[in-house]
Order: sequence, then C-alpha cells, then structure tokens
Amino acid sequence: MSFEEFQNRARLFVVGALDPDEMAEFEGARREFGEKAEAFIAECYSLSEAFALSLKPAKASDQIKTRLMEMVKNRQAH
Amino acid sequence: MRTGRSLQKKEGKGEALNQPPAAALRPGAPSDLELMEGIQREDSEALSHLYDRYNGILKALVLRVIHNEAEADDLLQEIFMEIWNQAKNFSAQRGKPLGWMVTLARRRAIDGLRKKQAYARAEERLQHETEQQPDAWVHNSTEEEILDGDRRILIRRVIGILPPAQQQAIELAFFRGMSQREIAAKTNTPLGTVKTRLELGLKKIYDGLKELRNEL
Repeated sequence: MSFEEFQNRARLFVVGALDPDEMAEFEGARREFGEKAEAFIAECYSLSEAFALSLKPAKASDQIKTRLMEMVKNRQAH
Repeated sequence: MRTGRSLQKKEGKGEALNQPPAAALRPGAPSDLELMEGIQREDSEALSHLYDRYNGILKALVLRVIHNEAEADDLLQEIFMEIWNQAKNFSAQRGKPLGWMVTLARRRAIDGLRKKQAYARAEERLQHETEQQPDAWVHNSTEEEILDGDRRILIRRVIGILPPAQQQAIELAFFRGMSQREIAAKTNTPLGTVKTRLELGLKKIYDGLKELRNEL
C-alpha cells in the first residue's frame, strides 16, 4: 500500500468506515509506516472533532453532572 | 447570505479550529490537555471542568446518533464516567483530547443504539427528519450567526461544499456507524462508488479544515 492510499484509509478509519477486511491490511500498513502513520492518524482525528463541532451543542439534564460527580466520589472512596 | 465583509470580520477574530471552545479561551483557563492530565491523576475537579466544557458537544453527538433525549443524557453520563476510567489510556502523541473523547462518545452512542435495539425506531425518526430537512448538514446561516464568530458555521461551510451524495455517505458512516457495505446496501449504490464518495469527501473536508487553520 502506498502512503497516499494509507492516508485515504486512515481518514476512513477515524470515522469508523473501514470494512473489517480492510482493517487488517490497514493495520499492516500502519505498522509498516510506523511513526509517520501514527502522526497522520493523529491529524485525521480533526475530522471526527469537526463532525462533532459542526453540531449545535445540546443541553444536558442538570442532574447528569451531579450524578456523575457522585459516582466519581464513590469510586475514589473505595 | 454571506458577504465578503462579514467573512472578513469573522476571520479578523482569529478563531482557529484547533482551539478549544470559547469557554476555554478565558485567560488562565486550563487547556484540554491539562484537564486530561488532571483526570489521569484522579483529580475530580478536572473532570468537572471538562464536563462543563464539552457536555453540550458530546450530548449533541450522542443525540444525533440515537435521537432520544433521555437515552442521550444517560449515555452522556456513562461517557464521562468512561473518560474518567479510561483517561490513563489517553496519549497526547496520538491526538488531542477532544478527538479522543469524540471517538469514545461516538462508539458508545453507536453501541448504545445497537444494544437497545432502537435502530428501527431511529431509522424512522431519521427518515422523518431527512424528509423534512433533506441535508442535515446544510445550514443557512444568518448574518447574526456569522458575526457571532461561531466555529460551527466555518466547519459547516467546509462540509457544505461537498456534493450531497458524499455528505450522505459520511453522515451514514460517522453518525450511524455504518460500514461501507451497509451504506452501499442502504443507498442502493455500488460499493466502489461508496468507497470513492467517502474517500473524496473525507479528503476534501480534511484539506478544507487544514486550509481553514492556515488562513486563520
């Protein structure tokens, strides 16, 4: 796989669109390209960030944070 | 309608895509990375800050996947608990905290959707929404929104450049968790065409986001 092809696959990978049979090939190329591949994948996460940031923020119920922090407190206590 | 003048004003604000949301830009506010490091040290205050900063974005993402307000709230709580529990697996070398959180939230939302077997119901709701608003990403920005300097508008503009078929393929992959084969079956499109649409669409968005970062 060329690096250009790897880049195309990496973009599919971060949005979860790689088919299972492509995944093994992608992982092989990822190992082969090493640090260069990891750096590119890290950059590709800007895509998933952008998709999330393209949405209008939604208001969560006020109770969610209270419950979350209580759970964390309990976890820390044990 | 967008004008050159409003665009200039917007760009003059120096907003960058790779910056955290406005709330985090206050002087002295901890960066996302600092908050993640705090969570790694089991500092609950750091989680509290991170929640305040990103609950709206992550809730919107979950809601977009499962289309149910109460389930989205429950999942949001689980997601932040997972952020707390899994923070030690986060590595800044592999990307930014927001990308990691979005990936985690998206996966949980899609898992949740499948587990609760709400797929069919969500399908109906999505179908209904799609009929009412053919392209959920296409958004007619008001002048006020543009002047507000909303980063969302800039991102939507990048996405909006794509042909509808490419947007749809990406939408189905990212927000519905569909594989390329599933997208091909759902849209009655050859698999090769779906692959091409996704590859071209994602590359255009990736390049567009990069350009935007360079411009601002």
